[in-house]
Amino acid sequence: MVNTAYSYYPGCSLTSSAKEYDISFRKVVETLGIQLDELKDWNCCGASPAPHHKAETLGVLLPGRNLHIAGAGHDAIVAPCAGCYNRLKYAQYKLAGDENIREQTSEVFQAEVRYQTEVLNIVQMLNREITPEALREKAQGRLANIRIGAYYGCLLTRPAEIVGFDSPRDPRKMRPLMEATGAEVPHFPFKTECCGSYMGLARKDIVLKASFRIIDVAVSTGLDALVTACPLCHQNLDLRQGQINKAFGTSLRMPVLYFSQLIGLAMGISPEELELDALAVQPDIGRWLRGVA
Amino acid sequence: MIPLSETLSQGRELVVEIERRSGQKVADCYQCGTCSSTCAAADAFDYPPHVFMRLLQLGVVDRALTSTTGQLCYDCMTCSSRCPISIDVADVIETTKNIADEQGIRESERGLRLFRNLFLKNVRRHGRLHEASLLAWFNLKSGKLTNDMSLVPLILHRKKVRIIQPRIKNRAQVRRIFQRAKERPKW
Repeated sequence: MVNTAYSYYPGCSLTSSAKEYDISFRKVVETLGIQLDELKDWNCCGASPAPHHKAETLGVLLPGRNLHIAGAGHDAIVAPCAGCYNRLKYAQYKLAGDENIREQTSEVFQAEVRYQTEVLNIVQMLNREITPEALREKAQGRLANIRIGAYYGCLLTRPAEIVGFDSPRDPRKMRPLMEATGAEVPHFPFKTECCGSYMGLARKDIVLKASFRIIDVAVSTGLDALVTACPLCHQNLDLRQGQINKAFGTSLRMPVLYFSQLIGLAMGISPEELELDALAVQPDIGRWLRGVA
Repeated sequence: MIPLSETLSQGRELVVEIERRSGQKVADCYQCGTCSSTCAAADAFDYPPHVFMRLLQLGVVDRALTSTTGQLCYDCMTCSSRCPISIDVADVIETTKNIADEQGIRESERGLRLFRNLFLKNVRRHGRLHEASLLAWFNLKSGKLTNDMSLVPLILHRKKVRIIQPRIKNRAQVRRIFQRAKERPKW
């Protein structure tokens, strides 16, 4: 069934450091004629610092509050941030599987907890709302000049028994729409390697090394850009790319786009409207779109 | 010199506890090393994941409990997803870390604890995270004042910063959630 309206959970990053993700996603969705209703009074999902993925109460209650609010809205909620998506799925998994957790959560919320709203990430939602054929029709080979890599990272697919979205080793669900843009999408060997996660402030050495490996392999794969669906991956790979170059004495320049920005470009939305100028490493859009009417 | 027999007998009980809580069998690991080759943080660990598993197999649990492996693992789960016999290695590491925490054997690195605490404090008070506040407080409290300051011109130029702390309306409910989690961290 195709939804024509979704509840929307932007999450904290999309209101500041990842604002281009929010803006480009809204633009794409608006162009597709779909309605997004931002979740009323949503709270932070707790991200990685809320004790993770086994048993801790905070890790269910924080995202659980958002699920509960979503329960009064549309049939499905879309969370473009991979972290928020992961936390919502985790809370739903715990609530669905354990009556005791449901009871205790209801007690804290002072209402019977609603947790059954379908939780979607951006790739799932756009795969549902636009077919590769329809996108190919709109794109008219617009991005045929470039090679791009799908970078999934960790939270979109792991742990697979909880998120149940795509293979945790060899995910492929970004690919059909990415190829429909006209771009070449070669196999990117580091598509599920970790970028270093939230260690950026406390242990920058770990993040810079982990993210360096990913960009280095993107370069040797001959890519013009990486595409991600996670604001934290984006921060580490894009915003910190200058720090990476300084730490390793390199001069890497690998643009990293959000999935929504890429799809938007293929749909013919302008780079300005998709906030491509908010990226730290600017893509050479002139070359990308050369020869496109 | 470690008196091996003593270490082994003490260790065995803890290994049973780790196996019980994680639902994994450490004896199944046959040391192929796939987990370590795929681990993005292995260089920063004193024992890479497969050696960590070996320590548990041998019952040398004190080394596992005090290792930086548990403290620095950030649970990306790449090792678990790659293990050819589907051992949830990340869960074994996390469980071991939790036991070390509970027994007061080893706390997380100060910087990481500080980051997590400041993050959650901001969310507890306001319901949403204000990234700029987190950076400012982290640098003040850690004394690393220039940390990430090289990013500030870029962040400002790209207009990627919110000046004002975002706040939700129903902060009372978020406070209740934190209060509950503090009183009962486990279900």
